[in-house]
Amino acid sequence: MIIYYGPLIFGFLLGFILGTRIRINSESGLKFNASVYLIFIIVAFIIAYLLGPFPYYKDIPLANGFLAAAIGIILGKLILGREKIPQKTQN
Amino acid sequence: MSTILKIFVFPAAMVVMCLGVLTILGGHITPGGGFQGGAMIAAGLIFCLIVYGLKESPFNLSHDFLSAIESIGALAYVFLGLAGLLFSGFFLYNLGVDLYHIVPAPIQAIFNYSDPTNAGIVPYLNFVVGLKVMVGLSAIVYAFLAFREYGEEAVDEPIEEIE
Repeated sequence: MIIYYGPLIFGFLLGFILGTRIRINSESGLKFNASVYLIFIIVAFIIAYLLGPFPYYKDIPLANGFLAAAIGIILGKLILGREKIPQKTQN
Repeated sequence: MSTILKIFVFPAAMVVMCLGVLTILGGHITPGGGFQGGAMIAAGLIFCLIVYGLKESPFNLSHDFLSAIESIGALAYVFLGLAGLLFSGFFLYNLGVDLYHIVPAPIQAIFNYSDPTNAGIVPYLNFVVGLKVMVGLSAIVYAFLAFREYGEEAVDEPIEEIE
């Protein structure tokens, strides 16, 4: 089975960039815990299966770029997405 | 905004962003491309900004991040064009495909995107355009929200009378 690395690498890269930007405000009432990301990854698997692969891609029956982006978002959040400390803005 | 929206929008925005990424990655074989995919990712970011507001949005885009990604996108596009000019004599020549057989094989291997369609540099161009459009569109909404929010703060402050 041939694995095409292009969509996997670039999907992960874009997802990772977006994931690093997830910074929940520490003073905010919003709390997004691990269950949100767990549900997101399950839904991402289902959507990737329903979308199917690109035309001519016969490696796996999933939209591998979609899945790579979802994993990239979660890893980006885990590695670099810290809590946001609010700063006083200056006019 | 309502509690239902606040619970729903963050995961939904992530799904929209992943669809945007997929649109960028399939730009050379399916409808879509860098601009459309970048606009979809920006839609996810804007979705969060509208529902949670500027200060509470889970996606925190700093000015440095916006300018860095914008610059990377533009410069990568120009460098891909210049690489074509350097190795083949044509600006934006598709080095990965090399239709005229004028590029050495190692250079062709570097610029060839790993997929069954042999697309060359086109997916790379889609990728950098996607980065640029994503940042550009979200920066506009970010700026409008910031003008409104900080503009209102400035109006609320008491104005000292000039004697």
